[in-house]
Amino acid sequence: MIPISYNVRNLAVRKATTVASASGIALVVFVLASSLMLSEGLRRTMATSGKADTAVVLRKGNNAELSSAIDDPTVGIVRSAPGVKAKSDGTPIAVAELMVVAFMETSDGKGRSNVQIRGVPSDVLDFRPEVRLVEGRPHKAGTDEVIVGKSISGRFKNLRLGDSFELRKNRPVKVVGVFEAAGTSFESEVWGDLDVLREAFGRRGVVSSVRVKLDSPSRFEGFETAIESDKRLGLDAIPEREFYEKQSEGTTLFITVMGVLIAVFFSVGAMIGATITMYAAVANRKREVGVLRALGFSRPMIVFSFLLESLLIALIGGGVGALCSLGMGFVSFSMMNFASWSEIVFRFTPTPEIIGKSLLFGGVMGVLGGFFPALRAAAVSPVEAMRE
Amino acid sequence: MNLATLAIKNIRRNRLRTVLTVLGVAVAILSFVLLRTVLDAWNTGAEHAAQDRLATWHKVTFVMPLPKRYFEDVRQVPGVKKATYINWFGAKHPTRDREFFANMAVDHETFFDVYDDMVVPPAELAAWKQDRQGAIIGASLAKQFGWKVGDEVTLNGTIYAGEWKFRISGIYTAARRSVDQAQFVFHWDYMNESLPQGRKDQIGWITTSIDDAAKGGSIGTAIDKAFDEREIQTQTMSERALNSQFIGAASAILTALDIVSVVILVIMMLILGNTIAMGVRERTREYGVLLALGFRPGHIVSFVIGESLTVGFLGGLVGLGLSYPVVQQGMGRWLEENMGSWFPYFRIPALVSVGALVIAVMLGLVAALIPAWRASKLDAVEALRRLG
Repeated sequence: MIPISYNVRNLAVRKATTVASASGIALVVFVLASSLMLSEGLRRTMATSGKADTAVVLRKGNNAELSSAIDDPTVGIVRSAPGVKAKSDGTPIAVAELMVVAFMETSDGKGRSNVQIRGVPSDVLDFRPEVRLVEGRPHKAGTDEVIVGKSISGRFKNLRLGDSFELRKNRPVKVVGVFEAAGTSFESEVWGDLDVLREAFGRRGVVSSVRVKLDSPSRFEGFETAIESDKRLGLDAIPEREFYEKQSEGTTLFITVMGVLIAVFFSVGAMIGATITMYAAVANRKREVGVLRALGFSRPMIVFSFLLESLLIALIGGGVGALCSLGMGFVSFSMMNFASWSEIVFRFTPTPEIIGKSLLFGGVMGVLGGFFPALRAAAVSPVEAMRE
Repeated sequence: MNLATLAIKNIRRNRLRTVLTVLGVAVAILSFVLLRTVLDAWNTGAEHAAQDRLATWHKVTFVMPLPKRYFEDVRQVPGVKKATYINWFGAKHPTRDREFFANMAVDHETFFDVYDDMVVPPAELAAWKQDRQGAIIGASLAKQFGWKVGDEVTLNGTIYAGEWKFRISGIYTAARRSVDQAQFVFHWDYMNESLPQGRKDQIGWITTSIDDAAKGGSIGTAIDKAFDEREIQTQTMSERALNSQFIGAASAILTALDIVSVVILVIMMLILGNTIAMGVRERTREYGVLLALGFRPGHIVSFVIGESLTVGFLGGLVGLGLSYPVVQQGMGRWLEENMGSWFPYFRIPALVSVGALVIAVMLGLVAALIPAWRASKLDAVEALRRLG
C-alpha cells in the first residue's frame, strides 16, 4: 500500500489549495451540524417537557392548550378517572391550568411578540418538582403576582424580577420570581394564579387543560378509554410526551428541511471545489504517479491513495467545521413556535450523533469529490508519464 | 495574437476545470438566489401590506374578544371610512388536519368593502350574501383541497367545537401581493347563532379602512382613546405594522438565513480563488516567458483578474439561468400552492437577480486578488527556472 505519509506531505506542500478546499467542506459541515443542533435543541426542549407517567386532557379536536376549553365540573370527572395516581390522603395528583397569551414588547424595543401565560393552581410546584426558583420567591395564591421562566425573562420588557405589567387597566401584575425548569419549554412561560388569570381573561369556570399523574405509564390506555368513551365530555387524552412532540413538529420540520436543503446546496459547491483540487493534484503529479506505477503499485492502489487524500482534506475540513459548530452550543435561540403562536427559547444542542453524522457527510463529500480525479490518476500509463 | 486572445486561450486551456468552476459558482449563486428569495417572500407580507387599514384588538391579547357593540363605536371615529369585524375561527379540514389555513367568521355586509384587495366576482359575492352557510375561499386554497363553487364542505371546530357545514359560494383572487390566497371566510351570523348565550355577540377584532394612510397613527390613537374608560381597552395598529411584528417573531430564523446567504458567497469565493491560484501556479513559467519578452507585471495581473472576472460572470449567468426554472417555477409554484398562508408570493425579485450577477463578478475580482498579487511579484529569471 502507498503510505499515508505520502498523501499528508502532498497536502502540506500545497497548503493554500488544501486550506481552500478544506474550508469549503468546513463551512458545509458547520452549517449542517448547526441546523441539526437547532432542531435537536427545539425537540429536546419540548420532549423533556413531557413525562412518561403524565397524561394531558384537552377538548376534543384540539392539539394545543391555547384553543382548548374544559369546564370545572368536567375537570372533576377527569380527576377521578381510573388510573390517576393519588396522594397519601387520597386526593388525585392532577393540575387544571389555563393557557393564554399576551402581546408584549420585546426588550430590544424592536417589536412585540406573544408570551404564553399559564394560570396555575397553588400546588403546581408539587406537580412539577423540576421547577425551581432562581430569583425572588413564589407568587402568592389569589394575588396579582406572577413568576417568569428563566429563558423568557430577559427577552421581554417588563418581565424581569421586580417589573410589572398590566393585564387589566390600573391592576399591575408584579413579577416576584424567576424560575428554571430543567431546560423545558416552561422556561418560556409566565405563571400566575389560576383564578386571578381566569378572571382577567374572562374565562371564569373554564380551564385549558388538565394534566394527571398516572399510577404508571401502562395505565394510560385504561385512562384514555375512560375519558374518551363518554362522548358527552368531548375530551381527548394524550400522553404528555406525545403532546409536546406534536407541539414542536411543524417548527422542527421547518428547521430541519431548511438546514438540510442549504447543506445539500452547499455540499454540491464544496464537492466541486474538492474535485477541482484533486484534478489539479493528479495533473501535477502525473510523473509521480508514473513512478509509483513503475514501482509496482497497482491501479486500485493509486485510486485508493487519491481517494484517501481527498478524504483527508474532507476530514480536516469537517473536523474544523464540527469544532466550530460545538461553539454554537453556547448560543440560545428564540423564535415563534408555529403551534402556539408564541415565543419559545431553546439552545443549539450538540449530540455525538449529530457530530458523527455531519463528519460522515463531509467525508462522503470528499470521497465523491475525489472519485473521478482518482480514476484519472489510475489511468496514467507509467511509460508515457515518465517520458513527459 | 493579442492579449485578449491569449486570455481566452488560457480560460479554454483546462476546460474541465473551467467548467467545474463555473458550475461551482453557479450552484453558489443558485443557493444565494434561493435564500434571498425566501427572505424577500417572508418580508413581502409586511412591505406590501396595507397602510390604510387599521386593526383594533383587545389591548392585552388576541385570545380575548371585544364586545360587538364596539364595532358601532369604531365606525363613529372621525377619519374611519369603512369598518368590519372578524373572528378567528381556527377550524381544521376533517381529514387533512395538519394543513393550516386561515378560516374566519366575518361580517358579510362589510368584509369585502374593507378588504377590497380580495376580489370576488360580483355574482358570486351576491350569492354569498344571500346564503347564510356560504363561504368564500381563496384561489390557492381551492386548488389545495380541490374545492369548487357549489361544494358542500365540513370543517372541524377547535375554538368553536363541533362540525360546521358550509357551501362554497365563491372564490377570491388577490389584487395585492401580500394577500394570503388560502383564506376561508364565512358569515359571522351563522357562527354567532349557534353559540351558547355567554359566548354570543363577541368579535375577535375590528378592521377599518381610513381616508388617509398618513393619518393612520392619529386615527388609531383616537380609536383606542374612545375605549380608554370602557371595561375593555383596545390597541390599534396598521396592517403593515402588525405584519412586521409578526415577522419580527421569526427574526432569529431570518437572521440565520441572512448569515447563511453570505457564507455561501464565501464558499464560492474559495472555489473561484482556488482555481485561479492553481492556474497561476501552473503558468509560472509562461509568465516568466512573457516577462522576459518585455510584458509588464501589470499585464500579467490583468490576465489573472480578467480570467477570474470572466469565470465569475459565466458562473453567475449559469446560476441565474438555473434559478428561474428551479426556484421560481419549481419551488415557488409549489410553495404558493401548498404553503400560501406562509408564502403568498414567492418570486425572485429583480433586484436579487441583478445583485447576484454583480456579486458574482465582484467576488471574481476579490478571489483573484491574492493570486494576481503573487503573479505581479514574479521575477522573470526565477519564474523561468521554476519547474511546472
